[in-house]
Amino acid sequence: MPDGRHEEEQAIAGTGMGGTMDLGVDEAETLEKRPEGPDGSGPQDKPRSLWSDAWRDLRRNPVFILSGLVILFLVFISLWPSAITSGSPLKCDLSKAQEGSQSGHPFGFDGQGCDVYTRTVYGARTSVAVGVLATLGVAVLGSVLGALAGFFGGISDSVLSRITDVFFAIPVVLGGLVLLSVITSNTIWPVIGFIVLLGWPQISRIARGAVITAKQNDYVQAARALGASNSRLVLRHIAPNAVAPVIVVATIALGTYIALEATLSYLGVGLKPPSVSWGIDISAASPYVRNAPHALLWPSGALAITVLAFIMLGDAVRDALDPKLR
Amino acid sequence: MLLEVRDLHVEFRTRDGIARAVNGVSYGVDAGETLAVLGESGSGKSVTAQAVMGILDIPPGRITGGEVIFQGRDLLKLKEEERRRVRGAEMAMIFQDALSSLNPVISVGDQLAEMFTVHRGMSRKDARAKAVELMDRVRIPAARERVRQYPHQFSGGMRQRIMIAMALALEPALIIADEPTTALDVTVQAQVMELLAELQRELRMGLILITHDLGVVADVADRIAVMYAGRIVESAPVHDIYKAPAHPYTRGLLDSIPRLDQKGQELYAIKGLPPSLTHIPPGCAFHPRCPLARDVCRTDEPPLYEVSATRGSACHFWRECLNG
Repeated sequence: MPDGRHEEEQAIAGTGMGGTMDLGVDEAETLEKRPEGPDGSGPQDKPRSLWSDAWRDLRRNPVFILSGLVILFLVFISLWPSAITSGSPLKCDLSKAQEGSQSGHPFGFDGQGCDVYTRTVYGARTSVAVGVLATLGVAVLGSVLGALAGFFGGISDSVLSRITDVFFAIPVVLGGLVLLSVITSNTIWPVIGFIVLLGWPQISRIARGAVITAKQNDYVQAARALGASNSRLVLRHIAPNAVAPVIVVATIALGTYIALEATLSYLGVGLKPPSVSWGIDISAASPYVRNAPHALLWPSGALAITVLAFIMLGDAVRDALDPKLR
Repeated sequence: MLLEVRDLHVEFRTRDGIARAVNGVSYGVDAGETLAVLGESGSGKSVTAQAVMGILDIPPGRITGGEVIFQGRDLLKLKEEERRRVRGAEMAMIFQDALSSLNPVISVGDQLAEMFTVHRGMSRKDARAKAVELMDRVRIPAARERVRQYPHQFSGGMRQRIMIAMALALEPALIIADEPTTALDVTVQAQVMELLAELQRELRMGLILITHDLGVVADVADRIAVMYAGRIVESAPVHDIYKAPAHPYTRGLLDSIPRLDQKGQELYAIKGLPPSLTHIPPGCAFHPRCPLARDVCRTDEPPLYEVSATRGSACHFWRECLNG
């Protein structure tokens, strides 16, 4: 027994020795590597920003990938519609009016005998152009005015906030019917102008709130105490921390602006023929929907998918940018 | 005098009425001198400092009277753009919480370098070199490597050193430190205070140290101004105050420091609460809490009586207080 015990002790001592020796080697290795680590040049120490965190989240989000692909496809066919259709949206043959799907014309023909497939493809251009340009206008105007109100506060805030309220009070469709019916120009610009006019208060409110929150950070006060000017405070210290909510709301709004353009065109005050727009096609197809439902379904479906894609993208971006949801 | 505050009044408009945060504060700092401003939360010590720096939020704040004479000119009469040039370059401020006082998305090196690019128009490369130099100066190890790191990668003490470096970057004549060590560990507090005091001596700056920590004050201050309800109640060289306070409020503060020789006994506390700034008591603001209070204290506001050439006390019965 004592012998056995002795052996056991030896064995333990042996492994112990081996253990410490291994440990010694490990330590030597880490010591050699160390100069990189704590200095911050090592890859693990690379600071991750809100944006890189958000990007990491988004890349794994199927909703983002799906809506992103749909939007990329839409942008592509808006820029090069001839890549997927050889026809012209304005070349119509009345003898084929309301005919269904046939070879070379997968979506059939509408009431005027125009090819629905070609018109749906070309309609994307109008929708994307109106959506993107109106959103840009709204985002720029809204965030500048909102940031001014939030940063300066006091009287300028009160005045701007009341103006915001006034614009909020205008009913969108009624306002569109009244304002756009007096305009004869048949381009996308009056529609964009109208959307910007009614859309900026939404972004302005968001930007104002975000700037007020960011302004209260101690480092803004500290930067001021060290002599930073107002423009520097806003651009360098406040804007980077206030821009995220604006981006989210603008992305979601983009989808609704596309729907709004279709609505206005449907009502006859947005774009008018011979312009090509989903709204115009939906409007033209609705009287004979019983005879030729396909002429209504394809442009409506395209519109619904487009709006949905932008709203889903906005949702995904919001989830990724809001640390509280992680 | 490097800085002289004369009869400063600051009000805030609130829902409950006008809060009189600063009611006739006067103090001065010489080059190379350290003035400690002592007082509870809400005594007006930070608001006075913000008014001196010109970073008071207006509105709701409003400076209703007084002068801030800095290097011979009244800062309150300068245009905002001129005041901005004074800030950072000629007077700078260090805040309590260095983590929230540094922009989390900009590297510390860039934040330091900005002091030089903005105020001095230096090139980015030169400014970066200056940033490393500054970090060395406040004894941040491996400054050359760490200059690219972000605030959250530094410990509390190191962050406060970076704040100090930013404040000292342009070698201002005056530094206001608003509770610079409150957020730090006790051991780190001592190191940071030591560093601040040393740099102050080196650069012969005036230092206004705002604090409620009497321990910090004893080591570094030359003079002490004790504030209560927006007024200075006692102003004296540091040793005089510790030897014998001439105001019952100062006495109360000193008596509430825990002491080793009183182990096991109950710690003294000044009874009552500081007054609401919207309803400051008439007469001496301290009278509801004062052990020496008499009828005259309820009606007559005491002026700052001259106790000696270098010392003042706003107590009708300062002699009594001084004799214990």
